[in-house]
Amino acid sequence: MKMHSLKASLMTAAALVLMALNVQARAAVSAEQLVTPIAEYKLYVLDNLDQLVDHTRRFTTAVEQGELDRAQSLYAPTRVYYERIEPIAELFADLDASIDAREDDYEHGVADPDFTGFHRLEYGLFHNDSTDGMAPYAKGLMSDVNDLDSRVRDLTFPPSTVVGGAAALMEEVAATKVSGEEDRYSRTDLWDFQANVDGAREIFSLFKPLVAQQHPDFVARVTKNFGDVEKTLAQYRTTPDDPASGFVSYDEVSQADRHALAGTVTVLAEDLSTLRGMLGLD
Amino acid sequence: MSHRDRPSRCPFHVTANEEGTPPRRRFLRGLGLTGLGVGLAGLYPGRVLSAEPLQTPPQGKEVTSAPLARDPQLSWPFHGRHQQGVVTPRPATGMVVAFDVLAGDRDGLQRLFETLTARIAFLTQGGRYPQRDPHYPPPDSGILGPDIPPDGLTVTLALGDALFDQRFGLDAARPRHLQRMTGFPNDALEAERCHGDIALQFCANTLDTCYHALRDIIKHTPGLMLVRWKQEGTVPLLPPSPGDFDGSARNFLGFRDGSANPSNDDAALMDELVWVDGTGENEPAWAQGGSYMAVRIIRNFVERWDRTPLGEQEAIFGRRKMSGAPLSGGNEQDVPDYSDDPEGHITPLDAHIRLANPRTPATQHNRILRRPFNYSNGVEANGQFDMGLLFICFQADLDAGFITVQQRLNGEPLEEYIKPVGGGYFFVLPGAINQQDFLGRSLLNATA
Ligand code: HEM
Repeated sequence: MKMHSLKASLMTAAALVLMALNVQARAAVSAEQLVTPIAEYKLYVLDNLDQLVDHTRRFTTAVEQGELDRAQSLYAPTRVYYERIEPIAELFADLDASIDAREDDYEHGVADPDFTGFHRLEYGLFHNDSTDGMAPYAKGLMSDVNDLDSRVRDLTFPPSTVVGGAAALMEEVAATKVSGEEDRYSRTDLWDFQANVDGAREIFSLFKPLVAQQHPDFVARVTKNFGDVEKTLAQYRTTPDDPASGFVSYDEVSQADRHALAGTVTVLAEDLSTLRGMLGLD
Repeated sequence: MSHRDRPSRCPFHVTANEEGTPPRRRFLRGLGLTGLGVGLAGLYPGRVLSAEPLQTPPQGKEVTSAPLARDPQLSWPFHGRHQQGVVTPRPATGMVVAFDVLAGDRDGLQRLFETLTARIAFLTQGGRYPQRDPHYPPPDSGILGPDIPPDGLTVTLALGDALFDQRFGLDAARPRHLQRMTGFPNDALEAERCHGDIALQFCANTLDTCYHALRDIIKHTPGLMLVRWKQEGTVPLLPPSPGDFDGSARNFLGFRDGSANPSNDDAALMDELVWVDGTGENEPAWAQGGSYMAVRIIRNFVERWDRTPLGEQEAIFGRRKMSGAPLSGGNEQDVPDYSDDPEGHITPLDAHIRLANPRTPATQHNRILRRPFNYSNGVEANGQFDMGLLFICFQADLDAGFITVQQRLNGEPLEEYIKPVGGGYFFVLPGAINQQDFLGRSLLNATA
């Protein structure tokens, strides 16, 4: 399907959903106004899913073929596409657990038989420095990601989940990225951090036109704070300020910058938690 | 000096000079008991709480009733020369929370001080939050319901030495004795439970009131500060006892703690020992009416303590365990007397109270106002409890007060049973004198 016709059909679908949900659009926003940003957001998610499937294939192949260096270097860039669309991916709790759970989520930690997915592979690749025994996890991850891809394609996106996703992503950052707990063996937390911010910013940008007139201070503050976070993150690119390059280890982030990031992220989480209210969404 | 040494009060005691009502009457009124003719013998936990006669619950009732509040309307004035929570009678619960300041400049710091002042002024007096469109997150956590009772809440704002670094240009106005806490020989300090740019001390009748206030403050200060550590504690409530004298509360070693503490309702003594006098050379003028707060999280090895003979326990403190009386004789409220015991045959020379306060003319100015709470956090890897004392004390001179007293205590026999693991030194800002004022204003003005 061509992009614009896909978008047109998504918009029709979104419009139907909104009517069915009888969205109570108070303030300045009507249900029809939500149709375009939601359709655009679904396109964003599908685009990232394509990339996720593609990168996961290369990553898991490297693991299965025992190419340790290559697998290590593909770990963080692959996760980016998952972290960007987490508000949607998380709707499938079973897959979210098998793809992205951390060892802390299991009573028996790393040894727990249910512990699979990215972080299980991370433990093997970065803690044990080995691909030994990792092939089954790689296979499982690939099949989970394919499953996610097909489930999301069939999903009608609930407006409050989409809009609330911006805040949810900042909560993710506040809860696990700022403390450096997410990627404790690879220390690639900054990749995930940036991806969460990308995802939140995308949502904010799509809905911004609907609130800009009534809440100019909010828009200015959020825009500035996203800018501040990205500026700090950009200093920790392997080539500073080059968006095409990766990130250094989280260990290298100074205490002052951790504080600066934590502060701005908290303000973003507070502000973005009001976006649903501004749009009158439950 | 002896007449000044008074037992510290029962948690709900309100001193006469602060409220104009004799303590006991007010205490009873708080409980709704005055004039009810309830015999003291009937005052036991569970019953003491209710002004109403106990009712038989209606048949088939499915609601689990909440325990009834004791004195939810008790409130302490916020505005004044001094902050609350220092000489205010100690309530049943307390909590210290230390923060790193995230604000990057003086404007941000001022916004933080102003916001804290406004929130504390509201929370300590109680009231209602404004309504908000339900599509938004509610303005309040709701854990105390729609009407926020003051519940005896005090919130005390204090600054750590760290805040006086290059960030805000405060260095020139640093209180003279403010310094970073350094470890004493028996300490095993854990970095994540030490220091901080600022500290807030919350005290209230219930911990829920402290938590509510903390969450309100966090919600109002995003981007301005980040929690560094937090420790809460309680003191056991006593049933009111007949007669005038209430014994002090016990700590987790089972001893009465607070038997010999400078009297918090003796204003002249508090001026001498607790409040900073900014009129002389010693301290910057802006600091007048402030105080130094030393906080120490001191673990108690309670299992081991419970396997220690009573006689040894009493020798370690220099007091009788049950009565709190000094080994030198008399009752709890009697002042320990070492004058005819120079060799420590009655009260060992290394007993905690004798080292802490040798009661010589030369050590009078080392006295401190202690206001501690007992804490219990959980279980250590070895299956022993992480419980102990959230030690808090106030003094006008940190070096002459806490630091000197702790140095005298270094090596005391009690050390075998305790381990300081955290805390910090903080300067309690002078009070906000009226609605136009805010906590920290005098400091910012002094460095403008
Ligand atoms: C876990 C640690 C501690 C425990 C269990 C503890 C317990 C006690 C007890 C039971 C008393 C006797 C009752 C009383 O006079 O209030 C006392 C007195 C006292 N303690 Fe502590 N204490 C501890 C730590 C400290 C520290 C760290 C200091 C100060 C550096 C301190 C200073 C004092 C002082 C000044 C007195 C009063 C002595 C007097 O005036 O006769 N205590 N403490």
